[in-house]
Amino acid sequence: MGGKEQSRRIRSVKEINEKIKRGDAVVLTAEEMIDLVESSGLEVAAKEVDVVTTGTFGAMCSSGAFLNFGHANPPIKMVRCWLNDVPVYKGLAAVDGYLGAAAMSETRGFEYGGGHVIEDLLSGEEVELRGESYGTDCYPRRHVETTITLDDLNQAVLVNPRNCYQTYDAATNSSDRVLYTYMGTLLPNYGNVTFSGAGQLNPLCKDRYYETIGVGTRIFLGGGVGYIIGEGTQHSPQGGFGTLMVKGDMKQMSNRYLRGASFYNYGTTLYVGVGIPIPIINMRVAETASLRDEDIYVKIRDYGAPLRPDLRPVVRKVSYAELRSGKVTINGRDVPSSPLSSYKMALEIAEVLKKWILEGEFFLTEPVEPLPKYREFKPMKLRRRELTVQDLMRRDVVTASPEDDIKTVAKKLVERGVDHLPVVDKDSRLLGIVTSWDLAKAIAQGSERLEEIMTRRVITAYGDESVDVVVRRMAQHNISGVPVVDRFKRVVGILTTDDVSRRLVGRPTG
Amino acid sequence: MRLRLIYSPKVVEKPILATVILKTGVPLNILEAKVDAQRGELVVSIPAEGERLQRVISLFQDSGVEVQLLTETLQIDLEKCISCGACISPCPTGALRFGPDWTIDFVEEKCVTCKVCVKACPVKAISIP
Repeated sequence: MGGKEQSRRIRSVKEINEKIKRGDAVVLTAEEMIDLVESSGLEVAAKEVDVVTTGTFGAMCSSGAFLNFGHANPPIKMVRCWLNDVPVYKGLAAVDGYLGAAAMSETRGFEYGGGHVIEDLLSGEEVELRGESYGTDCYPRRHVETTITLDDLNQAVLVNPRNCYQTYDAATNSSDRVLYTYMGTLLPNYGNVTFSGAGQLNPLCKDRYYETIGVGTRIFLGGGVGYIIGEGTQHSPQGGFGTLMVKGDMKQMSNRYLRGASFYNYGTTLYVGVGIPIPIINMRVAETASLRDEDIYVKIRDYGAPLRPDLRPVVRKVSYAELRSGKVTINGRDVPSSPLSSYKMALEIAEVLKKWILEGEFFLTEPVEPLPKYREFKPMKLRRRELTVQDLMRRDVVTASPEDDIKTVAKKLVERGVDHLPVVDKDSRLLGIVTSWDLAKAIAQGSERLEEIMTRRVITAYGDESVDVVVRRMAQHNISGVPVVDRFKRVVGILTTDDVSRRLVGRPTG
Repeated sequence: MRLRLIYSPKVVEKPILATVILKTGVPLNILEAKVDAQRGELVVSIPAEGERLQRVISLFQDSGVEVQLLTETLQIDLEKCISCGACISPCPTGALRFGPDWTIDFVEEKCVTCKVCVKACPVKAISIP
């Protein structure tokens, strides 16, 4: 079918709304549309179906709510504010604030955050408000403490800068330890794969060329009615990573479709339910509205490398169908896979939206402006030179050979005043490491040669690695120093926590 | 039946498990093992019941191994659970999976109460009683 044929109008949004008013619009969920196209073909489905409803329910960290608390008497211009100990952004007028889903409680940390406060407000619970100020002529109060409920607020408007990722790369972990990430728990040695996204139910996948979804589109948001207000942050449609910025009145929403959540050792977030109706205006929209999980591909990226998201190594490409099957093949091995977003809730949202339309409660909109079809997603430019391992490491490394006897080595450590001794072969290649503690133990136990006591699985660093990354590695392995090696495993330096702290605190002079 | 076997330093070097298998002919399956010079801890599943199971337990106990019966397993609060699946792939024994309607299905016999899922759940719906 040619492009012209594909974009030929089958029906308009206006015609669909008239049918909704009359009660004879044909509305299917995205799953039902797929089934219909499989049984009767695309032509028939496009002719019969007016609207396809979509849904997604996943962790969307770039979410939050603008809140207006009303004035106390005497009034306060809050410059700092907390709800249940979660900091609220207060760079706004006296009693306006923005509560971000990823803001974490100052007393409960990972356990509780802005997303949970939103859920608690929706559950009708009282939330502790604390505010501080410096006092002005017009706002003399300097401190306020009270409790608030959702009803008490003048406005509670959910405004989410980035929701509804069209697709999202799946995650795995090649490293030798468990990683706790925003993609959930990733087991070592490619132990599992996690993924996010509703795939064949996802709104932006179902209108792949953004012909019906745009600025002003009325949507299901958190159980109420919301609107698309623009492209989301990091919108990058050419790679399949379109995103949406949405808003809606929180007072209409439900704690079933907005759920506070926390990812272990990562942080807090909000599970957001979004559903978007797709009017079947032409064959191209009908075609993308019937895309299946089998047709939608993402990459599996390795979170074992502590790199910028787009630089995380790609392990392979994979379809949502394979991801959803529960196992994915990596290097010839079956690896368990599971989602972080709820397919069950996504289906439920598509069903609820369908019901709203069929009952004549929800009408479709035409976009005021289209969404951009191309947008570069640029990395942060680091214009200042940053410290790397080679800036801090010591190059005059005291080393030993595995045949050395322990007493000589102990003497060497004392003379040179070091705690870490890399053990190397004749070409300076790293074989192991011993610390002053290992030596003390060896002498106490009567061991004689270094190779009996050295640690062979050595944690190392490269000279061009960021100091932050290596400091975190040392903390994770509970060690105080790492040999710095080149790509041939030759020892070129040593970095210890002492070297790092000396640099941070400043070396005493004189 | 799943058992936790705790080896004290006195017995940690003896081939007790192998001896029990040879004596009873019960093919024990090791689900979890932590053994060092000081102490050993195994979680095993035993495909036997009644007298045979009792014999296995007594043999371990007679060899100086502390035996705990593992009857406690997970509780999933279905009110809180959002059926996301974040607990499924981290589970090392495949005890968590999707049911036909995409709700979480828990296979109690496979659970070794390692608690990986407790950490993995983003809405704190899983607990160990």
